[in-house]
Amino acid sequence: MTQFFSRTEAIEKLNALLAEELEASIRYLHLSSMVQGIDRLIVQKVLQENHEETIEHAQQVSEKILQLGGNPTPRIQLDLDGRRYSGPQAIAEALIFEQAALDGYRDLLDHVDGSGDVVLEEFARQQVAVESEHVAQLQMLLVEAPVGDQ
Amino acid sequence: MSDWREFEQNPVSHSAAHHLTTIQWLLDDQGYARVSDVARHLGITRGSVSVTLKGLRQRGLVVEDDHKHLSLSEEGIQIARGIRTKRILIQALFREVLGVPDEVAEQDACKVEHLISDQTAEAAGGFLVGLEKISLDSQWTLLLESLQRQAAATPTSFPGNETQELALRLEKKDPQGEDHPS
Repeated sequence: MTQFFSRTEAIEKLNALLAEELEASIRYLHLSSMVQGIDRLIVQKVLQENHEETIEHAQQVSEKILQLGGNPTPRIQLDLDGRRYSGPQAIAEALIFEQAALDGYRDLLDHVDGSGDVVLEEFARQQVAVESEHVAQLQMLLVEAPVGDQ
Repeated sequence: MSDWREFEQNPVSHSAAHHLTTIQWLLDDQGYARVSDVARHLGITRGSVSVTLKGLRQRGLVVEDDHKHLSLSEEGIQIARGIRTKRILIQALFREVLGVPDEVAEQDACKVEHLISDQTAEAAGGFLVGLEKISLDSQWTLLLESLQRQAAATPTSFPGNETQELALRLEKKDPQGEDHPS
């Protein structure tokens, strides 16, 4: 499949993804502090691991932007409250923004698929796979303890 | 006085108000609204939109179908319409009556659109309707033109002497003035 590939648009999408990843890393960190309950330590560990992984993703996305000749310019606007979360509530919240990141990578893949930029294509495909796995892992954790309107 | 506490009793937060009006605007403009469209329109991440929408879905204001297309419930439509109307009225009031430049009027209207009461918004609407009926050569027009000239200039500092003196005079007239903490 061949399609019109706009490098500028790819950089825009990558910058949006960079913002998603950076915001997610902060959200994970915040959630890990606000989680309470008997399963706190287990959930906290999952959230902290995901926090570190999202930072790695952000670094990778920044690298891609630079490789394409762009500048990393994420627009971040976070307003986090002091609400406490049970373990399942924290996982459910994380699932929301993980799913959003996955959708973002899918969009990027749609954009670069068949563009001829094999490296970027492969990166997008790989990120879709990794994020899909994250979402699936979080969903599996929730199966054990469903909460609210998942 | 604890008027500021009423902020917490608003049906929706500032952020939620923007999400509702954006969904309505997207539906009117392009016929559909997805999380990515709302994020692009508001200039924020999909993650932030999704987190806010979760709360709005739980409150029954936003509906998401199986194709992830968003729409507003009856209550959501009513709230979005109310906020939009208030924004238009306040913006017009600031621009037409106070003579504030349109860009500033729009920004300020955006800040208060979801905070003012229905009663004040109705009064603003009534005032603007009345204003439309006033003949062009009336004293009102002269006053408005003078106000508009004054407001068009960006103040170097606020409040200016005249405004400060007026505020003090008004405060003395207000029987509850001394109780106001801010």
